[in-house]
Formats: sequence, structure tokens, C-alpha cells
Amino acid sequence: MPGNAEFESLVARFYAPLYQFAFSLTRAEADACDLTQQTFTIWATKGHQLRDASKVKTWLFTTLHREFLDSRRRQSRFPHFDLETTEAELPAVSPVSVSGLDVSQVLKALAQVDEVFQAPVSLFYLHDHSYNEIAEILEVPLGTVKSRLARGIAQLQQLLARDIAASQPPSNL
Amino acid sequence: MNENEAKRILLRYRPQTADAEDPQVAEALALAKTNPELARWLEALEVQRAALCANFQQITPPAGLKEQIVSEYAATRRRTALTRSLWVSLPVLVVLLINFAVLWHPRSLTGTALAVFKSQMVRLATGGYGMDIRTNDLVPVRAYLAEHHAPADFKLPAPLEQAQLIGCAATDWRGARVSLVCFRTGKPLPPGSPADLWLFVVDRSAITNSPAAGAPEIAKVNRLYTATWTQGGNLYFLGVAGAEADIKRFL
Repeated sequence: MPGNAEFESLVARFYAPLYQFAFSLTRAEADACDLTQQTFTIWATKGHQLRDASKVKTWLFTTLHREFLDSRRRQSRFPHFDLETTEAELPAVSPVSVSGLDVSQVLKALAQVDEVFQAPVSLFYLHDHSYNEIAEILEVPLGTVKSRLARGIAQLQQLLARDIAASQPPSNL
Repeated sequence: MNENEAKRILLRYRPQTADAEDPQVAEALALAKTNPELARWLEALEVQRAALCANFQQITPPAGLKEQIVSEYAATRRRTALTRSLWVSLPVLVVLLINFAVLWHPRSLTGTALAVFKSQMVRLATGGYGMDIRTNDLVPVRAYLAEHHAPADFKLPAPLEQAQLIGCAATDWRGARVSLVCFRTGKPLPPGSPADLWLFVVDRSAITNSPAAGAPEIAKVNRLYTATWTQGGNLYFLGVAGAEADIKRFL
């Protein structure tokens, strides 16, 4: 097992981004805390098996994502969908201004995006992961990641545009 | 590449990152330089992307999470170190014999099994389980668990016997059968939960670093206050959705 100082340093470096990813997936503080803590517990047990120290970040995010998927399977509330990975035609979208939205509104919209797109879109906006890293974390091919990002972001844009339009008062004619 | 194809590709573009090295992104960016409408669209997209990124960065961990993770790890490490020092202090022959036994026993490979067990059982209690049977009678609970090859010969602390029994479930952990017995403390229940006091019982040989027989070890694990002890051939893990005093009340 790594020493306390080494472990604390690792936690200090990664617990916040891991929590952000967990929260964006679960949208519940307690569940996000559990997932984050569970990830480090698994690291304490199995982290020594990782040979390449540069892969620590990816390893932690992959582990958290696996734990999240496992917990959803245990709850059996979320059926698994296999979506085709080819990039389908998407409608052209006009980016709407989202400056008035808060994080809960954004995450609420993200929750309505197809489930398979949610994790890549979260990692994209957390802004600390390259396409290759996202592919490693989610354990899918690079091309699939690019396709899921494009489709997931397009869906999110449409949902945000709809929410913003719905929240605006009707104009006086 | 036409304008619509470029837009689809640029959706996943983040300026000042390696995204621009992607050949498709590079081609779409080149098109934006010669297409004023696409350039305006890209500018609006960037404003939106920056705002969404800022939203995600607003997610902040609750106070104390880091400390909780670190302290749980330190406690696990202390237990492991104590176990090691006990081994080292034994006479050489005994140490050799024990080392021989340890080498032949898989427990030497998984020093934090108890921590993982505790963490996963807490997640089960607070998240995703369903009771197999609901009853306030311990007799059918024991019968059900025995029938499903889960520990049924457990001994409840006297105060826990007085708690309101709700039901039970049989589950697995790393190939070992685990009994989950659900109670109520009498306090208001957490939203959506039928119970707020959970007892897990597993054969102690399934947990590599089970504590020695003695007073229950009390610790906070994720959202629950918990007590862990061994008695006979079983390891007991009791969790409560409440305060430290609540767990002590049932020991």
C-alpha cells in the first residue's frame, strides 16, 4: 500500500475532478461522494498493479466510471442500449446563449441526453481530457468517442435551446 | 467537407487543446477561416462551450470529503501495520510457519478487503438493494437465509434484538454469501428507504483482514456510522443512518 503522504497527495490532486465527473453522472451529492471514495478505496487495493504512473488519472476515471455502471446495473433501473457508433446526420444547430443557466439546469438537461452520450459529454466539458483519454476512460474506440461527443453535444444543445425558449415569457404582439 | 459537416465536427472542438490536432477538426477549422458564416457560428459555439465548461467547474466537492477519504485510508493502513508488527514480534520459528501459512493463503494479497467490503455494503444499504422477504419475525428470517445458504446462525447484540425488524435479503460478496438483515431505529427514515439500520453477516474467513474478536470497531463509512466485530465464525457489520450515538445504542 502507498504511504499516507503519497496517498494524500494523490487524493488532493484528483478528488475534485473525480467528484465533478461523479456528480455530473449521478446528480446526487451523496452518490458522488460514495463513488469518489470507492474509487480511492479500489486504488488502495489495486493501484500498485498500474505500471505506468502517467496513467493514474485515466485509471482513476475509468474505475469511477466502471463503478458507476456497476451500481446502475445493480439497481436494474437503467437498461443497457447499444447504439450504433457511426456518426449519423445531425441537424444544424445554432448555439444558444447559456450564460443565464446554472449548473443544476445544465445537468438536468444532460440527464435527458441519451445515456450513452452523457459520460463523454461530461468529460468533454470538464476540459481535462483529450479524445484519447476519454476513449481510454470509457473503454471505447477513439472513433466512437468522437461520434458520441458530436451527437451528445448536439442533443444537449437542442435541449438547452428548448429549455431556454420555454423559460422566456411570450412576446407581446 | 461542406458547412454542415464542418459544424458537426466542430461541436467537439475545444480551442487551445489537442483537439485541433485531429485531422477532421483541422480541416473544419480551415474551412471556417474562409467561410464567414461558419466562423460566426464557431464563435457563438465557443461562447456557449466556455459557459458550459464554467458550469461544470462550479461543481465542488462537499467540505470534508478529502479528509474522509484520507482518514479511512490511514485507518486501514494502521490496521495492516499493526497486524504486520504482531507477526514480526513472534519467535522466528512461528514467524516462518506463519509466513508459510500466509504464502499459502490468499489473504496476504488483499490487505484492504475489509475496507472494500464495508464500503460496498454501505453502498448497497444506501443505494441498491431490495428485501427478499419482509417480516418482523426473526424465525422466518433465519429460515430464509439458511435456505439460501447465507449465514443464519448469527447472534444479535441484546439492544439490536429490541430494534424493529423489517426483513432480510441474501446477497454475495466475492463468492461468499452475505446476510442482510434490515431494521428501523424508530427515527424518521431516509427518503425512499424502508430501513435505517442494517446488519450484514458474512463468514469471517471470507474477509481477509477481519478484526480479532473484541469490542466493535466504530467508524464512519461514507454516509453511515458503522460497527464491525467478529464473533464465532462470523463477521458482523452494522450500519446506521444517523449519528455515532445511534450505532452505540444497538451494541
